[in-house]
Amino acid sequence: MTPSQGTAQNHLDEMTLLLFLERQLDRERAAEVSSHMQECGDCTTLFRALDRESRLLTRAMLEEEESLPARLASFQQKAKRSMQWIWMVTFGLAATGVYAIYTSYVEPVQNRLQDAGFGGTNLLGLLVFQGAFWKGWQSMLSLVEILAFLVVGVSAALLFRRWFRRGTLAALLVTGMCGALMIPVNAAAFESRKGETVEVSKDESIKGDILLTGNRIVVDGNVDGDVYAFGQDVEVNGHITGDLISGSQTTRVNGTVDGNVRGFVNTVTVAGNVGRNLMAWAQVVNVDSKGKVGRSLTSFCQSLGVDGQVGGDVVSFNQSTRIAGTIDGGLNARGELLTIKSKARITGPVKFEGEKEPRVEEGAVLTAGPVSFTKHMPNHREGGKGYLFFRLLWTCSFILYGMVLTLLMPRFAGDCVSSAENAGPSLGIGLLILLSTPIAAGLACFTFVGLPLGILTLVLWLVLLFSAQIVFGSLLGRWILGPTEDTWGRVGRMALGMAILGVAVIIVHQTNHWIEFFFKMALMIWGIGAISLTIYKRLQRSSGAIVAPPMVA
Amino acid sequence: MEAPKPGRMSSPGAAESTEAITRAKTGDPEAWGELYRVFAPAIFRFCRRALPTREDAEDATMEVFMKVRDKLNQYDSSRPFSSWLYKVAANHCWDLLRRRKIRQDKETEDLDTLPLEHPDANQLEQLIEKRTSEEVRKALDKLPARARMALVLRYYSDMSYDEIADSLGVRRAFVGVVLLRARHELRQALEGSGALAVGGAG
Repeated sequence: MTPSQGTAQNHLDEMTLLLFLERQLDRERAAEVSSHMQECGDCTTLFRALDRESRLLTRAMLEEEESLPARLASFQQKAKRSMQWIWMVTFGLAATGVYAIYTSYVEPVQNRLQDAGFGGTNLLGLLVFQGAFWKGWQSMLSLVEILAFLVVGVSAALLFRRWFRRGTLAALLVTGMCGALMIPVNAAAFESRKGETVEVSKDESIKGDILLTGNRIVVDGNVDGDVYAFGQDVEVNGHITGDLISGSQTTRVNGTVDGNVRGFVNTVTVAGNVGRNLMAWAQVVNVDSKGKVGRSLTSFCQSLGVDGQVGGDVVSFNQSTRIAGTIDGGLNARGELLTIKSKARITGPVKFEGEKEPRVEEGAVLTAGPVSFTKHMPNHREGGKGYLFFRLLWTCSFILYGMVLTLLMPRFAGDCVSSAENAGPSLGIGLLILLSTPIAAGLACFTFVGLPLGILTLVLWLVLLFSAQIVFGSLLGRWILGPTEDTWGRVGRMALGMAILGVAVIIVHQTNHWIEFFFKMALMIWGIGAISLTIYKRLQRSSGAIVAPPMVA
Repeated sequence: MEAPKPGRMSSPGAAESTEAITRAKTGDPEAWGELYRVFAPAIFRFCRRALPTREDAEDATMEVFMKVRDKLNQYDSSRPFSSWLYKVAANHCWDLLRRRKIRQDKETEDLDTLPLEHPDANQLEQLIEKRTSEEVRKALDKLPARARMALVLRYYSDMSYDEIADSLGVRRAFVGVVLLRARHELRQALEGSGALAVGGAG
């Protein structure tokens, strides 16, 4: 039998030939097969046939150029579009939040800007910031705040999701937060009431703490515990043995609160008795002529008026402070204006740091001597030497701070600057963090988690604020000198950027307050956003997962 | 960045932009978009070959890319990206088929019993000669899931026997058997008859 006419007995099987073709045989076996094929025509033919079959298969599978279906081609675009939608909501939410923050916290400071000629008569200011245009939206504010808080909650859950199992805990956490906000009845251990008008009626007596939420809240009866009141108007005509914690448009105490009164409100009026301290972040704080505060009064507001009696010290950071009552302690005021009326009696020392000389009317009794006045130089708008020196010092300290940060965390600093190059996401996230963190921290302070966490959050937020400018400065340096991987190169770019930024701030400072305000805000938002994005990416990387954007098919 | 050439994955490795992959790892949406744009057509075609319907392939392509996005940090950049991508796609498609109980377990049992044959080479040549790519594709669609998947992994994705064994969950030693059996089934389908198209010669 010639090799070309070989029989099945000495032919190689198909399997062996296939493995030989696919180079899957070991060297020894491959050599055997190879030498057999040199002698066997049938096996060689089969080998070639198998090879051609392989080629046919590959060709058949590759040949048909089926174009990518439209829905797959637009997969990315859709993802992008849906992201844009999220950014729009974020911006919208944040923009509404701006107004909320403005009316609650910024407005008290606003009048300080009026000496620059940008007063309330300005049409834009009147429409946009005095609230004439927006009054109808007031009721939406609490909703916005809840939304902002939820956004922070969800973001936190996403950030820390590596500690959660498949997001289940995150979902529980968020649900819990929603529950706590929406249905306080079940979430809190103590009693709670909610509704359009919520009241503790005259003949009622409540043992323990109570949470009241509603448009109008009236306490006519007795509460033997603390009262937490959140609503439009809060009025206490009855007796509270504990503290009154209030977040509302107006809070009025006509009755008695044995403990402290703490409020984040627009207007606080004390016409009754507050046994201990009064602390208020508000636009207007009034201690009525019949009103009495047992111990100290601390206020951060636009205008403080004391016609009644305060048993301890008064510390005020207000635009205007007017004393016409009795203070059995010292008065320490900072602001624009201090007026001490003729009926005033102040037993402790009176200190005032402000822009204008305090006005002390004749007949006022200041037992510890006259007002110690320090003239406050709030601005150097004229660009005087003092201001330039101050800016120089400020810029130098920023550069130093930036240098320390860059040297300590070179990679992180580089990543932050890279993130900052994505202006859209940075600005969006920055705005959200800038606005929602203080709200969330404020809420944490006296609702869920307690003071330490709230204060810690605020401190971190302040650190973020200070670091934000450095990120922007570094970005500026990178734009000018180009990117670098060298740490000292980064420091140099940061220093250059900060120097330019310093000059820019001086130039902007000479225009007007609003431009300066928005300029600085934009820088901060940009920087905060970039840092937050970087931290987010870091956490994602360390958790080994990247959150897929909501891709809608 | 050049699109990968399926079937010869080891060669286009150089063309893959490692930079885009690195950037995509950090969550850069632009880089991610670029990766998608470059690799999606090949992955879609892979899914189209491996799965029964076009709709299945479209869904699977999107799911594969979402999976890849989640797992991008697990990608070892010393290996070609397209190999890794096909591996993820193969696992996904095979899981999909398994979930639908399309996978035929009896095939595993048959692996040991594949007879050692020496088919008629001329007959086989004739069969291959006559068939067009179009006919081969139609015949592939008629194959059982495992057979089709094995052929796609080997002759479209150019996967190694180790990778195929891993993807299909069979022992490496059986990969050749799976492939040969798949070829037989394909020949059968090409012939359109119940009998083995190219019968054993001995």
